[in-house]
Amino acid sequence: MRALEEPLAREQPGFLHGTPVPALATLVVVWAVATAALPEAGWRVVGLAAAHGALLGTALAWTAPSARRDRWAPLEAALVLGAAASCARLHPLGVLAWAVVPAWVAWRRPARLGARAWQSGPAVVGGAVFGLLLGAHLLVNTSLTFGYRVRTGPLAELADWWAYDLGANVLAAEMFFRGALFERAYRRWSFATAAAVSTAAAVVRYLADPLLPHSLGMAAGATFYMAVLGAGNCWLLARTGTLGPPLAATALFFGAYRLLAPR
Amino acid sequence: MAPAIALALVTITLAIAQSGADAASLWRHAYHVPVVVAALRYGGGGVLAALTALLLYAPFVLPALEREGATPAVLEGLLTFALLLGVGVLSATLARVAQRQRARYETLATVQRAVDGDTPLDLALARLRACLQMRLDATVGLVVHDGARLAVAGGARVARGSAVARVLASGAPLFVPDGGGPGPLRRCFVAPLAARGGVVGALAVERGGDIPADERRWLPLLAAHVSLALDNARLAARQRRFADELAEKVTAATRHVVEMDRMKSEFVAIASHELRTPLTALQGFSELLVLRRFGPTELARIGAIMSAETERLGRIVSDFLDLSRLERGLTPSLRLTRVDAAALVADAVEVLRRARTTHEFEVDCADALPALDADPDALDRVVKNLVSNAVKYSPAGSRVRVAARAQAAPPAVEITVEDEGPGIAEADRARIFEPYYRTVAGARAAGGAGLGLAVVKSLIDAHGGTIRADNVVPHGTRMTLILPAVP
Repeated sequence: MRALEEPLAREQPGFLHGTPVPALATLVVVWAVATAALPEAGWRVVGLAAAHGALLGTALAWTAPSARRDRWAPLEAALVLGAAASCARLHPLGVLAWAVVPAWVAWRRPARLGARAWQSGPAVVGGAVFGLLLGAHLLVNTSLTFGYRVRTGPLAELADWWAYDLGANVLAAEMFFRGALFERAYRRWSFATAAAVSTAAAVVRYLADPLLPHSLGMAAGATFYMAVLGAGNCWLLARTGTLGPPLAATALFFGAYRLLAPR
Repeated sequence: MAPAIALALVTITLAIAQSGADAASLWRHAYHVPVVVAALRYGGGGVLAALTALLLYAPFVLPALEREGATPAVLEGLLTFALLLGVGVLSATLARVAQRQRARYETLATVQRAVDGDTPLDLALARLRACLQMRLDATVGLVVHDGARLAVAGGARVARGSAVARVLASGAPLFVPDGGGPGPLRRCFVAPLAARGGVVGALAVERGGDIPADERRWLPLLAAHVSLALDNARLAARQRRFADELAEKVTAATRHVVEMDRMKSEFVAIASHELRTPLTALQGFSELLVLRRFGPTELARIGAIMSAETERLGRIVSDFLDLSRLERGLTPSLRLTRVDAAALVADAVEVLRRARTTHEFEVDCADALPALDADPDALDRVVKNLVSNAVKYSPAGSRVRVAARAQAAPPAVEITVEDEGPGIAEADRARIFEPYYRTVAGARAAGGAGLGLAVVKSLIDAHGGTIRADNVVPHGTRMTLILPAVP
């Protein structure tokens, strides 16, 4: 028992301790320059790589062991994501390049992320069921409310989105908002506070996403679903101690979300 | 219960759909039933049931809101959203509070049952820890001061600088939101166990999840209850131990009194016999002197016999008087003066040598023995008693050795009287200095009231000396007395 047999850890470092500020600042500069200098297709790739790279790299830096601070992880992540996004845009089979991102993350061996992610099979199945139910509800509700229809093709386009979600969107979001932000907050505060901080940050991130249609109804829907998904994922992570269930839940929810076709 | 609640929610949703999928359908009120039931049964499950009801009911309200705007029916539906959520949260909160209180009362009762006075402390701590772990759904550690040692349950030791060590030192509760380490998050709360105005231990609760503020306010109360229960158990155990010890002492004292009574009865019989023997001799010889006329030689012999018997009678009476003082807790009265131990030993042995011709006597006194600050009459009685015993309990023709030598630090004189008798059994050796005590072999071999050695010991004690009995190889007894010398 730690309370008996281990000396008490020293004071916790600050909440933002270990944030790779120089790397994040570099990404902002690169994105600003790309926006000004490159055509739309180019700066979209750079923007995507920078945004997801910032989340992924910060998550790695925050959760790295004290001996290894991963100060330049955001830049490395942005490079990998940029390469994968470029491949996906340039060639029909380029979507496979998104698989490089989880492979790169696995290679980095994050200290608190992923190591036990797939060890708990029933917990992952529980997460998948949660994501599937929430996704199904989204499909039913949006088709009834906004008149969106459920599409089954074209398969290439769906595969493109799914690959992007698995390789970048879901991975970066869960690693940062749950694996890093919630984990760090939960080590300081109660579950309710930590889940609120993490979920609020995730909701803001999706509301600020340029890919999300900007209407009041969509914003309300996104807020509702991302809040439920975020709170549920925080509970799953706190309960199981692994990122597997939240990753499964978010992947399946976004899988369902990509089936929506505009009116 | 959970499947029934889920079935009820689905059935109500189907009923709304069947009745025209109206946002203000009357069936919507039925959602409250499974929500309240879920809250009463599972606590937090009420919120989950309310959220599920919202998700199921939303497809009837939100499309209407999109199509028709904020009509009264839609507003009623939206109001139902708020009501369902409110009822779910409120009833879940109340149910959880009630369940928590009940669980806490049960925990306190369990603590009381787990600790009783008959259980050794380590076992009581282990039992208490097991039941608290089950009740609190957490890893529990208990540490209690037990005299000089620290009894620990839940770990091998209390590490320096650990949360428990800090609480033991400070006496204040400590909450550690992050136990540290790379593994999953573990929170820890340590409360002091206080009793008799001080910290007697600590209760540590460690859990992978939350330890809410409400629980952190309750844990010190639980710790107080645990410390009270342990203290009561400890006091009860001590009281029981004292009662047992007292009963043992009373039994031993009773046995001793019975034994003393028996020995006194025996003593009266022996003393009567001892007194009668010289009295009979004196009576017989005095009657002879009255009835017959004797020549001078005969008269001298009879006079010597009567003198010896009178001396014997006097010795027995002196022993009785000394014993009487001994039993009243008084030390024998001594007239202390400078005594030459060598001369005293030689004189005493010489007197006995003349009276007891059956044994050989060997006296070995070292040169220049230090002087003793002693009562010469008392010391003379001691030496004569020991030499008489040596003669009495050794076969005729054997040798009695008496020696005196000096001891350097602390300055003392050691006098030994050694015979070639059968020796003294191990069990008897510890008791031969008790009044009235006579060994079985001794009682069979010679008479005596069992007072001689008791009186000798009391005289030696009064001089600040010691006496002990040892067996010598191949057979015999050596009595060694050590008397402090004048520095």
